[in-house]
Amino acid sequence: MSGREITFGQALNEAHLAEMEHDPKVIVFGENVSSQWREATKGLKEKFGRERVRDAPITETAFIGAGVGAAIAGYRPVVELMLVDFGLVAMDQILNQFAKSTYMSGGAVSVPMTLRVLTGAGTSSGATHSESLHGLFAHMPGLQVVIPSNPYDAKGLLIASIRDPNPKIFMEHRLLYPVKGQVPKESYEVPLGVANLVREGKDVTVVATSLMVQEAMKAADELKGKVSVEVLDPRTLVPLDEEAIVNSVKKTGRLVVVDEDYLHYGFSGEIVALAAEKALKSLESPPIRVATPNIPLPFNPKLEKELLPSKEKIITAIKQAAA
Amino acid sequence: MSLNEARTAELYRVMIRIRTFENAVRRLTKEGKIPARFGLYTGQEAVAAGVSVHLRKGDQIGSTHRALGHLIAKGCDLDKLMAELMGKETGFNHGKAGPYHTFDPSVGALGANGIVGGSVPMTAGYALADQLKTKRNVAVSYFGEGGSNQGGVQETLNLAACWKLPIVFVCENSSPEVQRMLGHEIDYPQLSIDKVSLRAKNYAMPGSTHIGWDIAEVYKASGKAIRRARAGKGPTLLEFKVHQLEGNLEGHLESNEKERQWDPIDILKQKIPRKVDELIRAEEAAKVQKAVDFALKSPEPTLDEAYACVYKEVD
Repeated sequence: MSGREITFGQALNEAHLAEMEHDPKVIVFGENVSSQWREATKGLKEKFGRERVRDAPITETAFIGAGVGAAIAGYRPVVELMLVDFGLVAMDQILNQFAKSTYMSGGAVSVPMTLRVLTGAGTSSGATHSESLHGLFAHMPGLQVVIPSNPYDAKGLLIASIRDPNPKIFMEHRLLYPVKGQVPKESYEVPLGVANLVREGKDVTVVATSLMVQEAMKAADELKGKVSVEVLDPRTLVPLDEEAIVNSVKKTGRLVVVDEDYLHYGFSGEIVALAAEKALKSLESPPIRVATPNIPLPFNPKLEKELLPSKEKIITAIKQAAA
Repeated sequence: MSLNEARTAELYRVMIRIRTFENAVRRLTKEGKIPARFGLYTGQEAVAAGVSVHLRKGDQIGSTHRALGHLIAKGCDLDKLMAELMGKETGFNHGKAGPYHTFDPSVGALGANGIVGGSVPMTAGYALADQLKTKRNVAVSYFGEGGSNQGGVQETLNLAACWKLPIVFVCENSSPEVQRMLGHEIDYPQLSIDKVSLRAKNYAMPGSTHIGWDIAEVYKASGKAIRRARAGKGPTLLEFKVHQLEGNLEGHLESNEKERQWDPIDILKQKIPRKVDELIRAEEAAKVQKAVDFALKSPEPTLDEAYACVYKEVD
């Protein structure tokens, strides 16, 4: 590794630059993508021109659907959705057309499009500007869900996503944008479906995604000397690196899943089910889920904090699992 | 119907109330007393004031993410509104709504909305209820030029015309000269036409465009459309050109030199006797100060409140 540090947002920008350079079929559009204030797409229009980099009106159904169509017609669109909550306006295009066209056509068409989506709570923005919703997309057959937690993965996963022939929802937590990390200057792929062992440990396995990987690491640091915590970041929810998770649970015998998405019917339940199905006999204590309860996120910052997973809640869960 | 002197002063008062309230919001946000930044209505006051003066308490509005003007003009209590913006227990929605989701059913203010165009289909539902109840109430649906493009908005224009709903669509076009999204140096237009009201023809309803910083024009056009809806003659699409102004933190209510030409308050002030102007400003400043004091003194919600109201409790 080069030792060069850049932010999560800059890493995404580099991935766009690299892939637009690498493949003339890569096109970019979304709301305000040519604006200098959109960090991930900044400078693309100046470099590659307005044919390939287009601002769309606030019409999620239309521009996401246009991405699906352009992908079927041979392009590799990278479409930006300003916030995941706004994507709910375009449920048909995402959950029907984007997700299912490959299968419905019996493989006659494919949809090599990456829908980049900003997500996440913690900014006191209220119930329609704060959600995660990766569980919703991971639930739909046909979609792949990519969810980086650091700048290195952001760049490598985005490049891999753009090159992959299937529909990807690429989820970027807003609060990760200013986070810095080491990122090589050159182009590279982080393969989809390979978990990252962020921290090795022997007592408790913590599976976390996105911003929650950072919270899990803080919790693990604080418990140093008391509980040896293994932190695993799946990096992609679909495809899921089941083997890495199962092996870790078999090793530690204890599982905590941390998820900013809602608790019910979601990622945290999926991981616990996986442990139950494939590592039940290794479990020495009941798995614990630390997730946002099924409650719309409130505006008041104290109420919002009350509902979200946090370092403190993770520490409590790890201690309980290890007891 | 033209504006007499008393009506003019009444409208001016509402505009001053909105501007004064929003200046307080700016200051409180800067001081960290309001926990998040959000879109304000400064420069658009004549639209909310000129529309709402024709509305009755039982009429409803559906609003946007720049809702403060709409809410205040519809008669929302300033104390509870300010408390909501500070996330306090005494706010309309116990601090859960904030600026994007404020609801005050007691005056028919049925929602600020965090999704662009999100309130428009719902507002057709308020109008449907009005039609079914036959009390000659009407609904007003506010949205912006960006929102006007949303599928849900275009679908609702059609539905409202098909069902002849008692609704007035009010598009506040804050980018009337350039068809581009405000505040962004973007490359493609967001509207394929230069007037949103041109869409009305496709849905067989009246549509017209007006200067939104001229209170007399807003008053006249919205009065006509609201009377039409009340008479059961169906929907209208009104477009008002507006400019979102910067406002200021120093308590001045007038715009700076550059923005003066679009400032509805600055323009209307010329018609208000100085004594009346001073009185209105003083009275409205006192009301807003009372709201700020009330909100600052109000308690935070208890943490239990985070878990309440996900579902309606059965009595």
